[in-house]
Amino acid sequence: MDVPMFVLFGIDIIRFLIDLTTVYALYLIVSLTLNLEAGFSGIPNFGKVMFVAAGAAAAGSVSGRVAAIVLNIDTHGDYNGFIASIIPNIDKALSQNILLSVELMVLGVVLAAVVGAVLGFVASYPAIRLREDYLGMLLLAAAQLFQIFLGGYQPLIGASQGIEVPDVFIWAETGIEVRDVAVLLLVGVFAILVYFYVERVARSPLGRTLRAIRDNEVAARALGKNDAAVRRNVIIVASAISAMAGALLTFYVGAVNAETWTRITWTFWIWVMVIIGGAANNAGVALGAFSFTFLFKTVDLVKFYFQGYIPFDVNWLEYLMFAALLILILAYRPGGILPEKSSATLPWRTIAQIVQSESSSPNVSALLSTPAEKIDQTEKPG
Amino acid sequence: MLSPHPNRSQRTRQRILVLAVLAIIIVFIAELVVDYFLRPVIPPYLLDTIVYASLFGLMAMGLTLTYITTKVPNFAYGSFVTVGIYTSYSLLRVNHINPYVSAPLAFVLGGFSSVAMYLIVLRLLARRGSSLVALMISTLAIDIAFIGIFGIYSDYLTSLYRLIDSKYFIALSATPGTDFSLYGLPGLLYVAPISLAAIAAGLYLLLTKTRFGIAMRASVENPSLARILGIDVERTYVFAWWLAGGFAALSGTYYSLWLPGGTSAGSNLIVEVFAASVLGGLASIYGAALGGLIVGASEILLTQAGAELFGSWVEIYQKGVPLVIMVVTLLLFPHGLVSVSWRGVPHSAAQSFRSMLTRLTRTFRARGGN
Repeated sequence: MDVPMFVLFGIDIIRFLIDLTTVYALYLIVSLTLNLEAGFSGIPNFGKVMFVAAGAAAAGSVSGRVAAIVLNIDTHGDYNGFIASIIPNIDKALSQNILLSVELMVLGVVLAAVVGAVLGFVASYPAIRLREDYLGMLLLAAAQLFQIFLGGYQPLIGASQGIEVPDVFIWAETGIEVRDVAVLLLVGVFAILVYFYVERVARSPLGRTLRAIRDNEVAARALGKNDAAVRRNVIIVASAISAMAGALLTFYVGAVNAETWTRITWTFWIWVMVIIGGAANNAGVALGAFSFTFLFKTVDLVKFYFQGYIPFDVNWLEYLMFAALLILILAYRPGGILPEKSSATLPWRTIAQIVQSESSSPNVSALLSTPAEKIDQTEKPG
Repeated sequence: MLSPHPNRSQRTRQRILVLAVLAIIIVFIAELVVDYFLRPVIPPYLLDTIVYASLFGLMAMGLTLTYITTKVPNFAYGSFVTVGIYTSYSLLRVNHINPYVSAPLAFVLGGFSSVAMYLIVLRLLARRGSSLVALMISTLAIDIAFIGIFGIYSDYLTSLYRLIDSKYFIALSATPGTDFSLYGLPGLLYVAPISLAAIAAGLYLLLTKTRFGIAMRASVENPSLARILGIDVERTYVFAWWLAGGFAALSGTYYSLWLPGGTSAGSNLIVEVFAASVLGGLASIYGAALGGLIVGASEILLTQAGAELFGSWVEIYQKGVPLVIMVVTLLLFPHGLVSVSWRGVPHSAAQSFRSMLTRLTRTFRARGGN
């Protein structure tokens, strides 16, 4: 069974859409977690790439090794050195064994989440102690170091050459592109779950606490909110989810490489998405991530047609374009496309109904000085 | 540190810092001279130490200048270093101009790109009431834009002058006749520390002895009060940014002589430069110079020591040294070296010296009396 082809202007539209949506879902996950940190809680995470890359590296390096042990494949004591002969063997076995594939994938993703959470916990130590400018510097520098470490430490993911990763979706390869549809389904469902989770957090009392801490730390503390613990938990959760996204990307691409994880690709682009869309507004961030991914992928697609006419690589223009876009948005529409809305509370009518139904209890009726009918009237002024 | 009318202890502290910078540089040069006479071969890491220390001292001074004026960590600062790297690279490869000769031009170009960034982006955003995080992300955006510009520029060099190494090139001193040699050592070993010493001393004179320098300090310390006194605060900030970009580009020129360069060579130095500035306290330019010396030197020396103790795998973690310094500084004494109380040290030393003298004179007098 193949995915049908639909070619327009020499572009396979369906293949393009599958790729676009998968990348969008991954970017959406990471940008939503950045929104949780930077948008809602005011933690300027300028080291986002570190957490995503940690998940990718953990999943990429461990899943293959575990598969080699389980399938009894000889690694000659040097997994990274013989990877070119090991991975095809693993893939051959995995194409017959759906259960093992799923187990490997779950193992990779869970491991990534744990690694991300641990890194997040470590990062929370300075994050709850430092001012935002110092914290930004520290996280940026830490991410830079992590990238150097990934690119230099051979045993983990093969340093600068990178390593291949077992294809845990190979069982789905029953026709052209079917594997990619399977990946898309998985990543898409995960992205939707993350969206609903983040949205639920934002609307909950916890979400209001986050905004309170962001806007006025002292006042929040005076109201008895434990700002340090809340911040720490936010960073841990956000880092764990971003690391899971990194692991999923690794399984999708089928390789992990230190060059992928730069300050530009997984910190700056993510910030662009959050700021274009609207910080502290999940729908806005989803829109921002989509606008960014769509622009980015479309430029990727059409740049080959321009390559002959422009004496330089079009990628560099992308850098300039998105940097300029970000600065213009910051200057002229600082809230983004969909700015932050005030916290969603229940409408007056609903509150009035609750009050009416509860007013039989002596406690509530004693507390209320205004009758419910009066509240109902104030809702429609004039 | 930069108060317009420093009291005695502040002035003492400033002088101590400047003297410390000069002293470390003199120690470096003395060590070179001693090594030259005592050892048959000077180990290369020692040369690296001197160059790294001086360059990071220069860069950290510039970064701190931008921080004290705008109070925004400037993530685009590394790109000003790349401006210097590409200036010297293209002038050497295309026009065969020696990097030492093109250094003043690099200084000016770096200064102008820094001023352009300040005037066009940061001031616009600050006037529209952007938050600190927004300003920080805008400097990151500028860094990315600069990398894009360098990319376009290097592609242009490749297509126009057939320079195939324009995206990643080895140290320029590999080209014969680029760096001079003095007493058998590369010239940069003398030029880099002497530039740092000259700039530190020059800044000290500018900021304490000239009216403009005093106005600059006043604008940093208390902008509104400085405005009331008729100081054009904006002009002093622009000048500070120009100097900062100039220092970065100048160190970029030297950097290109010693180390391989490329489109993001400068941006990747951000760990060291921030570590140096933070160690210096982010408030004092002399502290930053000292921090740069310490960070640059310890990065090489500690890595070397680690490699000798545990094996060469330690070398991957070279950039970890500045990061660790930064973390320790931020968590233990977040206001940097400057905040450590130095005041008592020279005072008590002088006092004990004086009391020793009095005791001696008394003894001598007593003897003379007899």
